[in-house]
Amino acid sequence: MLEAINLKKAYGNMEALKGLDLTVNSGDVYCLLGANGAGKTTTINLFLNFIEPTGGTAKVCGIDVTEQPLETKKLLAYIPEQVMLYGNLTAMENLRYFAQLGGHDYAPDEYRGFLNRVGLQPDAIDQRIKTYSKGMRQKVGVAIALAKRAKVLLLDEPTSGLDPKASNEFSQLLLQLKADGAAILMATHDLFRAKETGTRIGIMNEGRLVQELSTDEVSHADVERIYLEHMHAGDQYSQKVA
Amino acid sequence: MIKLMISHETRQLFRSGALWSILGLVVLAIVFAAWSGGRSVTRQLAGAGAAAKFEDGLRNHMRRDAEKYEAKVIAEGGEYQFASVRHAPGMGPPQGTNAGAVGAETAMYVSLPPTGLAALSIGQSDIQLNYLPVSMATTLDVTKYLELENPVSLMTGSLDIAFVVIFLLPIFILAMSYDLLSSEKERGTLAMILAHPISLRELLASKIIARAGMLLTVVLALGLIALFSVGTDLGSADTWARFGLWVIATLLYALFWFSLAVLVNVYGNNSATNGTVLAGIWLVVVVVVPTLVSLVATAVYPAPSRMELTVAARAAQTVAEKNYMSKLDEYYYDHLEYVPEGDQKAMDFLTLAQANNNSIEKAVRPLYDEFQVQLNRQEALVQRFQFLSPAIMMQLALNEISGTSADRYEHFLEQVYDFHDQWKEFFSVKFLERYPLKPADYEAFPEFDYDEEGFALVLARLLPSLLGMFVLLLGVVLVPTLALRRYQVAAR
Repeated sequence: MLEAINLKKAYGNMEALKGLDLTVNSGDVYCLLGANGAGKTTTINLFLNFIEPTGGTAKVCGIDVTEQPLETKKLLAYIPEQVMLYGNLTAMENLRYFAQLGGHDYAPDEYRGFLNRVGLQPDAIDQRIKTYSKGMRQKVGVAIALAKRAKVLLLDEPTSGLDPKASNEFSQLLLQLKADGAAILMATHDLFRAKETGTRIGIMNEGRLVQELSTDEVSHADVERIYLEHMHAGDQYSQKVA
Repeated sequence: MIKLMISHETRQLFRSGALWSILGLVVLAIVFAAWSGGRSVTRQLAGAGAAAKFEDGLRNHMRRDAEKYEAKVIAEGGEYQFASVRHAPGMGPPQGTNAGAVGAETAMYVSLPPTGLAALSIGQSDIQLNYLPVSMATTLDVTKYLELENPVSLMTGSLDIAFVVIFLLPIFILAMSYDLLSSEKERGTLAMILAHPISLRELLASKIIARAGMLLTVVLALGLIALFSVGTDLGSADTWARFGLWVIATLLYALFWFSLAVLVNVYGNNSATNGTVLAGIWLVVVVVVPTLVSLVATAVYPAPSRMELTVAARAAQTVAEKNYMSKLDEYYYDHLEYVPEGDQKAMDFLTLAQANNNSIEKAVRPLYDEFQVQLNRQEALVQRFQFLSPAIMMQLALNEISGTSADRYEHFLEQVYDFHDQWKEFFSVKFLERYPLKPADYEAFPEFDYDEEGFALVLARLLPSLLGMFVLLLGVVLVPTLALRRYQVAAR
């Protein structure tokens, strides 16, 4: 599970995150919504210990990420907007390398099994990644998470730019991971997918978590209405300040 | 884990075309430099051999004349006499019986033997002749062959393995590692890797180990091959001790450049900026600073050129001659065979010539000592300023290791001057006694046997350069290690 306790991040005078409290439990798909610059990516980078918090704590499965970064990274998998892999290696080679980096090793058939499970065409498995489409690379990203047996997934706009079919396939994979008991935190702009795949939705605005929703309590239309309300409120607030 | 990352890096490098072109260039440069260095050493050895052979031939000719004369004296009876002046062939005792003539008209070539590693760093050895003719003549004549080399090679130095290591190796190293982290960051793979239980330090270490392992294996292997193909004296422990030092110096220098690439990468700019910054550092460290140091050294302690030294020595010679000679004496001094009043008068002129020679030597020698002192001051200044640039430290270290340093040459020259005195002493005493030189005496001529410096002395002179590089390396390793914590994996 994931936990943020009064988590803050400032760049000089600019506060990117103003005290975030957030919990994502095992079996949860928590979708972070918000405009660009709302603090979604900052939150994910803080959980990855890619940046240092200026206050508060981020915990993965109860372990503080700044105190034991390598321990927490054994437990989590990261799928960025663009899963970037080694273009001159095949999907198999990339998967094996990243699995081994995560401390796991499998027989070749098992690696093939992971890649089959995420729906990669069998004939693509031994091709170099540089020939891959974005959708295919995102699938390899999920395969890496599977091979790593990740208990926590951090996803940063993983479906942006995917065609609806690829996006749908990706969401199906997330649902499988959720069923396996993973805690998933996903930053996204896709309100439809958030409602479809997510169990909970958090709306962020200017470094604050302004509202949390349970997806089974609201409709698609509600999600969009509430989201836009917050965005407009934010705009008015900004104008007032200006 | 780090083994896995090193093998991954190695595989990545093997699949990139850049690695093969870099290794190809390294091989090409070292093979050519080894050939060039080997040729230079062979040429020096051949030159020394040919010169010694020529002079030995002259002396043997005089000795054969003396043998014939001795046989004639034994057959016909009579006294074995001293030849005061050059006679027509067949008449009277030959020149070979005159110690003054033998000592003055033939020279003993003394040579500085190359160390086993001489071909790896030519140093100054292309302008400092490794063989000099020692005769009864003055120091002026002994050293007049110095700096008669091709002026182009005086200007540019020569291409040897030391040049490849000092100038080119850093370029190859930087070409392999200028984008060590920045390329992963730009490709987006850095975030993917660091989402795994890998520290940035381990990642950097694995990248450096993979690159340094590959490049330095090739460089050291080629150095060894070069030693086998152009090195001399492979059987001696000295050669291998020196090769060991060569390996240590090369590793220190190469690791400095690898660490520098890490340092620049840790400050997290893009690949293009990193490349430009590193190229600038290369230019300053390898070209600008050494040039400035050399400029300062020659400005602070301007050594008179050898040309000026020669002119001054000639002037001193002229003054000395004037003091001792009348015009007629001067003429007869140059043309002993025309002295009209018989052998006794001619012998006086020979004595006069000896005395004259000594006084010239006395006038000239201080100029040489002064010249050497000034050179030593310059040298000492460069030694002090070497810490400004690892390239200077490396050049001094490699010259020291290969036995082509200024200090070893000075050690050789001192012995040459001593031998020169010994040679003059041997022949002038016999001459002044009018001792008729017998063929058997030829066996007792002084021999030059170069007395090599102790290895401890070489080490002691080498130590500051190696230590300086080591301290610099530590500094360059330490700074990025401290800065690593602030490295931004993700852009804000």
